[in-house]
Amino acid sequence: MAGICCGVVGETEPAAPVDSTSRASLRRRLDLLPSIKIVADSAVAPPLENCRKRQKRETVVLSTLPGNLDLDSNVRSENKKARSAVTNSNSVTEAESFFSDVPKIGTTSVCGRRRDMEDAVSIHPSFLQRNSENHHFYGVFDGHGCSHVAEKCRERLHDIVKKEVEVMASDEWTETMVKSFQKMDKEVSQRECNLVVNGATRSMKNSCRCELQSPQCDAVGSTAVVSVVTPEKIIVSNCGDSRAVLCRNGVAIPLSVDHKPDRPDELIRIQQAGGRVIYWDGARVLGVLAMSRAIGDNYLKPYVIPDPEVTVTDRTDEDECLILASDGLWDVVPNETACGVARMCLRGAGAGDDSDAAHNACSDAALLLTKLALARQSSDNVSVVVVDLRKRRNNQASS
Amino acid sequence: MRSPVQLQHGSDATNGFHTLQPHDQTDGPIKRVCLTRGMHVPEHVAMHHTHDVGPDQCCSSVVQMIHAPPESVWALVRRFDNPKVYKNFIRQCRIVQGDGLHVGDLREVMVVSGLPAVSSTERLEILDEERHVISFSVVGGDHRLKNYRSVTTLHASDDEGTVVVESYIVDVPPGNTEEETLSFVDTIVRCNLQSLARSTNRQ
Repeated sequence: MAGICCGVVGETEPAAPVDSTSRASLRRRLDLLPSIKIVADSAVAPPLENCRKRQKRETVVLSTLPGNLDLDSNVRSENKKARSAVTNSNSVTEAESFFSDVPKIGTTSVCGRRRDMEDAVSIHPSFLQRNSENHHFYGVFDGHGCSHVAEKCRERLHDIVKKEVEVMASDEWTETMVKSFQKMDKEVSQRECNLVVNGATRSMKNSCRCELQSPQCDAVGSTAVVSVVTPEKIIVSNCGDSRAVLCRNGVAIPLSVDHKPDRPDELIRIQQAGGRVIYWDGARVLGVLAMSRAIGDNYLKPYVIPDPEVTVTDRTDEDECLILASDGLWDVVPNETACGVARMCLRGAGAGDDSDAAHNACSDAALLLTKLALARQSSDNVSVVVVDLRKRRNNQASS
Repeated sequence: MRSPVQLQHGSDATNGFHTLQPHDQTDGPIKRVCLTRGMHVPEHVAMHHTHDVGPDQCCSSVVQMIHAPPESVWALVRRFDNPKVYKNFIRQCRIVQGDGLHVGDLREVMVVSGLPAVSSTERLEILDEERHVISFSVVGGDHRLKNYRSVTTLHASDDEGTVVVESYIVDVPPGNTEEETLSFVDTIVRCNLQSLARSTNRQ
């Protein structure tokens, strides 16, 4: 782990001993990375439904100007560039921490080398109470063609899931999540009609490039990896090639399987639907789309479907964290490495009492993973969510 | 496995699609292929969709019916400088030579994310405002369609609508079959023409 850390931090402290267990040391090393500006915003976020503890928002602005992408060279010129963070439209990075006793989360989402930011992240702690238990919602959406389907998932999917879970008979998670994703897909497909009637919502109009081009773009879609975390279970629903990985006692356990067109069962499904997979710069549905399931992408239905695969995992005392990320991370960082990095950050913070430290640790983990992906020349947007799953020592809260 | 090239759409008159398979007319290394054979089209349309296909090349065409007069459709199709008005896969386009109204003018298009292409440099080959014919060829870019050339013609249908015929010829890239190449390009062209129909009707 120290090796990875050194690799990222590069040559700033070649002789300095790496103390991978100290959060302070890690924070210091992160601070040394150039072009990072940490803005501590004292504004208090609106209180969450069931969580009225002190909240603090921390925004990390990461420059991803092309010239700044090579972390090693950044580090070499650190003295000149340090703290002179540059923000441009191509480099909006946000890492948010929600400081409260439940739950502890870190997220980072960067444009990276791409021209457009088409990833979206959705974090809704305590989005739902069921049987007097708190449920949390986390989602990563990686758009293609344009950003508006991923944006729509960010805006709507947690509400759709909430409504579906509220009418869920028993623990029919699979059916409920499949229904939710199908509803999401329908909303995306029908969005055009709403647009004509009501006009686009402001946020859409501002953020969506293709809006001006054609309201009815069939050729836009998004992956969706969503996790609902309850005190007892982790429910992961996945559609596309984003991924959820559980770090349990140091072991990386994937909770989703990427929907790639050359996955044998997906290949058969596509062929049975009358489609075909063509190797055209990688395996693609009809030679076009490099994933076999997605929200949206009407023009590739029924070969590309919005149905998620759902896993339900019982939580254990050995669970450390959950990582949700877009393929901008997973293309260049293996599951095991990602778990190792996150674990190191969390261990540095220690479990339990110091809630701020644990939050910082999750943010550190998300940020460090993102930096690692950029250092490894990830060519895509990179979005990472790290959720601390360790049970409190004092057992005050169960999630 | 059914190939989308032989598209069941081909015989499905309700959605207005016909994907035509090339018909060999001569033997030898270069084959002359008329892609509108069997259709009732004006002579100049048939002529424009006749291609000389070399070895390791392939050609195909997609037909789209639009319930609007040719003039309305032409207003969108003629925009060599702004293909985004109906082509969903284009993120950005700029004219890099000329004004987009003359043969030889060049445009550079950037492709949206998620496709096996980044950019394409294209040359205007035909712009016939009277007969409603536009043609461009690909002269560069970051994608696998080498020596691509397409021709799009509009003519009035019997029911006062428009028949759009778009045909293309392209090299079969190394590592792929002719069938795969046709399947891929047909998907893109079909999507564009469906979008053209929607965009025209929205005008």
